[in-house]
Amino acid sequence: MKKKAVLMFSILFVIVMSLSGCSSSSSGSSKNEIVFWNVFTGPDGQDMQKIVDEYNKTNPEFKVKNVSIAAGDMYSKIPTVVNSGKGIPDLTIVHAERIKQFVDANMLTPYDDVLVDFPDIKADNYVPAGWAIGDINGSRYSIPLDVHSFVMYYNKGLLEKYAPNALDDNVVTFDEIKEAAEMSTKDGIVGMGITWTRPTFLSIYHQLGGDITSDGETPTLNTPEAKEALELLKGMIDNKFTNKDGEDPGQLFKSNKAIFYPEGIWMQNSLNEVETLDWGITSFPQVSADKIVNWTSSHQFVMFKDDKRSDEKAKGMMDFLNYIRENSLPWAKAGQNPAALSTLENPEFKELPHSFLIEDTEMQKSLKIFDYKYNGFVAEEIDKLVGDAIFGKLDIDEGLQKAQKAVEDKIAANNKK
Amino acid sequence: MLNTETNKQEIMSTGLERNSSKKQLNLSPYLYIGPHLVLFGIFFLFPTFFGIYISFTNWDLIGEPDFIGFTNYNEILFNKDSTFYEQLRVGLGNTFKFVLFTVPACIIVPLLLAAGLNTKPKGLKFFQALFYMPTLFSVSAVMIIFSMLYSVSFGPINHYLNSDTNWLSTQPYAWITLVTVTVWWTIGANMIIYQAALNGIPKDLYEAASIDGANSVQKFFSITLPSIRAQILYTVVITTIAQFNVYGQPLMLTKGGPTSSTTVLLMYIQENAFGSGISIAGIGSAMAVILGICIMIVSAIQFFFLRQRD
Amino acid sequence: MEKNKLSKYISFIFLLIMACIWIVPLWYTVFSSFKSEADIQSSAFTILPINWVIGNYQDVLFGNTSAPVARWFLNSLIISLSQTVLVLVLVSLAGYGYARMKFKGRDAIFLFLMATMMFPAVVNLIPLYKIVDTLGWVNNYLAAIVPGTAGVFSIFLVRQFMLGIPMDFDESARVDGASDFQIFIKLILPLIRPVLTVVALFTFTGAWNDFLWPSIVFNDVEMMPITPGLQLLQGMYGSLEVAHALTGALIAIVPTFILYLFTQKYFMESLSLSSGVKG
Repeated sequence: MKKKAVLMFSILFVIVMSLSGCSSSSSGSSKNEIVFWNVFTGPDGQDMQKIVDEYNKTNPEFKVKNVSIAAGDMYSKIPTVVNSGKGIPDLTIVHAERIKQFVDANMLTPYDDVLVDFPDIKADNYVPAGWAIGDINGSRYSIPLDVHSFVMYYNKGLLEKYAPNALDDNVVTFDEIKEAAEMSTKDGIVGMGITWTRPTFLSIYHQLGGDITSDGETPTLNTPEAKEALELLKGMIDNKFTNKDGEDPGQLFKSNKAIFYPEGIWMQNSLNEVETLDWGITSFPQVSADKIVNWTSSHQFVMFKDDKRSDEKAKGMMDFLNYIRENSLPWAKAGQNPAALSTLENPEFKELPHSFLIEDTEMQKSLKIFDYKYNGFVAEEIDKLVGDAIFGKLDIDEGLQKAQKAVEDKIAANNKK
Repeated sequence: MLNTETNKQEIMSTGLERNSSKKQLNLSPYLYIGPHLVLFGIFFLFPTFFGIYISFTNWDLIGEPDFIGFTNYNEILFNKDSTFYEQLRVGLGNTFKFVLFTVPACIIVPLLLAAGLNTKPKGLKFFQALFYMPTLFSVSAVMIIFSMLYSVSFGPINHYLNSDTNWLSTQPYAWITLVTVTVWWTIGANMIIYQAALNGIPKDLYEAASIDGANSVQKFFSITLPSIRAQILYTVVITTIAQFNVYGQPLMLTKGGPTSSTTVLLMYIQENAFGSGISIAGIGSAMAVILGICIMIVSAIQFFFLRQRD
Repeated sequence: MEKNKLSKYISFIFLLIMACIWIVPLWYTVFSSFKSEADIQSSAFTILPINWVIGNYQDVLFGNTSAPVARWFLNSLIISLSQTVLVLVLVSLAGYGYARMKFKGRDAIFLFLMATMMFPAVVNLIPLYKIVDTLGWVNNYLAAIVPGTAGVFSIFLVRQFMLGIPMDFDESARVDGASDFQIFIKLILPLIRPVLTVVALFTFTGAWNDFLWPSIVFNDVEMMPITPGLQLLQGMYGSLEVAHALTGALIAIVPTFILYLFTQKYFMESLSLSSGVKG
């Protein structure tokens, strides 16, 4: 009997043990290595890897280990990792909108102490919109890598044909799009593609004077401005100035069947792959040419709290950030606008189509990052609301009411004891 | 409920066994079930109890969970003004719809296929492999394939139907799409179980029925179905549980739309617990517990009805 | 006999029709993997590629320097195979315990197991991660192998199958002086081989296609299995490369498909062994 018992459990034991033998454990950051988590996958991941490789070639005291993780997985993983206190990354790229939330939860270490030795990492050297995000309650919690905006592409040939004067003032207004679309739809050409609804809506909302919060605490979604923004988009769809529901606007644009195509600057490399397409880039369409708004987000470097991180390593990380500040060109070529202004001096950067957004300080002001502690809740509700509302499947008033209520309820649920 | 069959066999055999193996009534059985029970305890039971505990707390995944009693349940079950009440109502309703639409198809289609394959037709192995193959794809691959197939502007389906049907974001097409994808993707496992079961039915049963003049349809209902009842019970229960846990299909194909008409409960649970905002894990857990209870009730009903005809 | 032929004919037609439907998505996937991205996204759909390209395969396999696809394959094989072996051992032991042995609380335990399995696993994620982390398994194959073996469904399947084997078999063996363990090894195990092949196939496929859990427990690109690994090939903000995604999906099913081809022959043939057994 005993023999059998021993046999049974030893089967289990042997399997488990033999498995642990053949696995390597390289998660914990070793002494001279900076573990760097980021949300860059696919082509972006490769570009970041190249930058890290270049940096490691300079033989820094602390080499950087690049770990790319799909964004959704990383945000699910972070609370558990930080909570467990083990395997915390040294340096992490997070989206600007998340930072307030992490600071509130007391998860981040501020940069203030280490910044003393790095005088070049300062406000004057970064795009204001990107830099401002990391300044919370008088402490610096993040350093920006880039500012990436949701702008608009246009088809050069079609623009010439249907709206030759639209770009004279460097801004395309919705009225100009409507005018062009009146003509083009007769030829089976769509005026404007409806792409990612969240930044599309938020840009217009802000142009009309709205914002997702009035005081940093209360959400403001159910407002006259929001209604106006949705009605503007719905009007364009109802008049058939845009692609139909379900139609792929990207495909229309790539096959020269759409004049205007609002999308992120990060999409340009995929447009370049289409040889038959001659495109240009400009600001997101505006309600009026006086106030330009381009929805923007930013990738920011943060340090999650980790007692085991030495001061020397923190300095090593700052060396890396300083290197990035001075060597952002490869990242710009990947289709992002670097947050570090030193890149602006590089002639190669000036040739990049999206550089217009940060080249002069006026345009820099058009970059709007929707920074709000409960931004995530708002984003979830906007994603549910906008598509249905503008394609006429949901009553606008009712939808706005529901969305406002949902955000309020989620905030309340979060704060109840 | 589960064990009527076992009990019968036991009664038959205990008489014989009682005398011969009384000494065997010792720890020995636990050596067989023990290894699995240990793993089950560590990797399933404990996390599940913890998950249930979370449903009685307010937790953002970061600090310590605050115990708040039944507040979450009160909110999602009885507070009619609450967004979460609405989420549970809509999500659970859509989940039940999905189960109702897909489970019968996921039982009948593979059963018919298995019956067809059981006649040993030409190209048996080809058919078998073809029907099983979709099961091998991961969820994201299947969803990419179908989002392309159903694409309004460049999908082959609209191309050949010569239509511009919006398969993914208008009803009833969104439901049709979800059901088609699910049936295509998931029937492989059930088909194999049925094939194995059909293979095991003694041929003389059919021959006897043929002599009695029964036709194929009669034989199917009087011999085939009763003979594989155990497997049907198994597949009905497992398939139902699997479909209650639907998540990937609506998330990646319809994104829950149009107007939340295909948003299933797991999507709301995920949104609350791991969404882009601050986590409301307590509410998410409470919803998951409710979903678990629903699955248990439905499974119990299925056991009851399918066992009745014993 | 005439009737028999007719029903055979009808079922063949039925299978053929179903096959035509079933093959469409597979056909689409296979041939799209030989099209360029631009051709896939073109409004002029063609069944066969106009320009055949193998660039997608090159890109997926070797194109991304930070994506060690071959290594992902190896990881997936190690994880799926180990989990399958472990599950087979556990499941046949436990199935034997629940189906053919008598002990106090047997049915209660089994019922309890079944009931708990009905809880959706989503809320277990965090505590499970903590357990795995406490064991020091983060970024270790064990994290992907072991938790998956706690499942109950396979035990249910095996137990149901074992219940169908007449108890007289055991009795006569016992009369001949065989112990429980001998009965299990020499008598029952050979008889339940068909159901074990099915369990092996399901377990292997399940482990191979698991996506969420491995992407949580592995940080290291080198340790990733292929299914979550392929996700890393896609860019942020949904800039999806359809051609690459489809190609990746096809590459990823090769091992599971081969396994299927092997087991298909085995479990269909070996079933005749148990043809006297009531299911």
